[in-house]
Amino acid sequence: MTRILSENTGYLYDGTFDGFLCVIFKAFEYRSEPAFILPQNRNTQMVLGDFIKVVTDPEKAKRVWHGLGNCTNQRNTRLVHVAFLSELPEVEMLMWRYLKKVFRDKSGRFYLNMLDDDVFELVQTARKVKKEVHRFHGFIRFQKTADGMYFAPIDPDHNILRLLAPHFKSRFPRQKWVIYDTRRNYGLYYDCSMVREIILDDHKINFHSGNLAKEVKDLDEDYYCSLWKHYYDAVNILERKNHRQMKNFMPKRYWKYLPEKNKPGGTTG
Amino acid sequence: MKQKILKKLDILADAAKYDVSCSSSGSSRSGKDGVGNSVKAGVCHSFTEDGRCISLLKILFTNHCIYDCAYCVNRSSNDIKRSGFTVEEMVDLTINFYKRNYIEGLFLSSGVMVSPDYTMERLTAVARRLRQQEKFNGYIHLKAIPGASPDLLAEAGLYADRLSVNIEIPSEQNLKLLAPEKNFPSVYDPMNQIHQAISISKEERKKYKKAPRFVPAGQSTQLIVGASPESDLQILRLASGFYKEQNLKRVYYSGFIPVNTSDKRLPAIQQPPLLRENRLYQADWLMRFYQFSYNEIVDENNQNLDPGMDPKLAFALRNPQLFPVDLDKAPYEMILRVPGIGVRSAKIIVANRRFGRIGLSHLKKMGVALNRAKYFILCRDIPSPSRVLYPEQVRRKLLKPKSPLGKQLSLF
Repeated sequence: MTRILSENTGYLYDGTFDGFLCVIFKAFEYRSEPAFILPQNRNTQMVLGDFIKVVTDPEKAKRVWHGLGNCTNQRNTRLVHVAFLSELPEVEMLMWRYLKKVFRDKSGRFYLNMLDDDVFELVQTARKVKKEVHRFHGFIRFQKTADGMYFAPIDPDHNILRLLAPHFKSRFPRQKWVIYDTRRNYGLYYDCSMVREIILDDHKINFHSGNLAKEVKDLDEDYYCSLWKHYYDAVNILERKNHRQMKNFMPKRYWKYLPEKNKPGGTTG
Repeated sequence: MKQKILKKLDILADAAKYDVSCSSSGSSRSGKDGVGNSVKAGVCHSFTEDGRCISLLKILFTNHCIYDCAYCVNRSSNDIKRSGFTVEEMVDLTINFYKRNYIEGLFLSSGVMVSPDYTMERLTAVARRLRQQEKFNGYIHLKAIPGASPDLLAEAGLYADRLSVNIEIPSEQNLKLLAPEKNFPSVYDPMNQIHQAISISKEERKKYKKAPRFVPAGQSTQLIVGASPESDLQILRLASGFYKEQNLKRVYYSGFIPVNTSDKRLPAIQQPPLLRENRLYQADWLMRFYQFSYNEIVDENNQNLDPGMDPKLAFALRNPQLFPVDLDKAPYEMILRVPGIGVRSAKIIVANRRFGRIGLSHLKKMGVALNRAKYFILCRDIPSPSRVLYPEQVRRKLLKPKSPLGKQLSLF
């Protein structure tokens, strides 16, 4: 059953990767060039023109995913997923153009061709995401809770939370931790055996400052945190002051939950 | 008690800050039982206001010192606050910082108290306690104290990911002048010992997987630039020797900061020589990643790096016969030599030219600095050099006055 759609039909999906793959499935089925592909939560009241809402069907998503696996290699399918997590405004259309070319490619190595604009753009997008993942391996700060768990809030540009799990799982195998994305409002909880997704609804955490409420904080937490702030100030060499370089490596938007960059009332806090 | 630790931290972190090394790369450890792991690429956890990365808890065990080196803030004749940690305090601090993800590990150095052996024993004790009792798998960098006995170094190397012996002054004559208790053998002997032990351990691990690792992230050293009159040629020759002979992972260059202004043996300077330090790092990069040898970067006629341009551009202008480089055909090594093209771009160019001809738009997207590169390449959009450009012309075009040089420079 093939339906011919008008040229400027757009697609809405539920914002998940599976949902996006279903858009690809539909677009191929209808043989129509999407005018836009948007997640329903993002500016959908602004959408003009015809659009169809694509229902997420895991079976269809799987078929697209396997199809991609047959056209490229494993490393590259991962790259496609990572690029999707960038959540950049035009990323769905970029991925549509990219996937269309990959699926139609007969040579089997088109996806390697960085001279193609879409391939290059996709690789660059995935690189941005991976760069942020690497940065957050460093820019995460845990606070110890009274019951011995370690809690860290994050607010990254891209949706990297799940990509952080392997690193922190192998780094702290014997330590219960939660990493929580305060903007996207979901977190990961590791209980010393596996990682689960959670949504926090109690008000023991201030999402603005990222701080745990006093009654749930470990007694020594403030002590170690102030040692850390002291350390941060002590290793700075005044004669070499170079703010621009500091901000290059550690942009201001990442300072929100870094205690060393948030010192109310002076240098020590 | 807590106040006491806070004070110690202030003094002993401040005293350690002039050691520039902070890298946490080159090692991979893991363990299901313990705390932590090390990742090959290293991780930066924060950046100080001077733009340097904080990866490790860089700290002195004590700043008491029996030596009196002219360039050092901790020398015995200085009237400063002195302090020292206990092994337990050091371990507690490291573990608690680590668990909060403040740091990637520990970089422990020390002033020399009582004797080199006495000091080295304390440093080793901290590392031993971390690895054996706390099952700590994070990164450990220990300073090898010059003059410490080989047995102690041999034990320290079993716990540490990296050991470093600092040469500090780039010629023996000036080292003796500025650090009367030190000489080159006191630096080279432990370096050579570590180098040998690393190669032996590597060989053994090829045969038996369980053979103990010895300093898996290799060794490094540091030298001070501008405290003594050596030329860049002398410095880069020395560094090149370290990379080739002792197989060092890194040489760090630390622009001289006059911490002891009254010492007549040292030059009086207003500003630390940050521009020179930056050029030396660029030259160091050329040796380590761009297949340059030191004598292509500096030679008897050009003993010092040109402060006005990066050393790769200076090389290209001195060797116009090697250019332009044809991006469609030239080997990787030659593409690497083009000013403005980095390692990543060179790799993309070589891997993708089978798909078509490289154009300027491609180069721009890769991040190639076309303002420099365009004089030295042939590609789809520059099929032949439209006219011969003489080095002097290129130099003039590229050195148009821009923002004032000197203050805000990138270290790496």
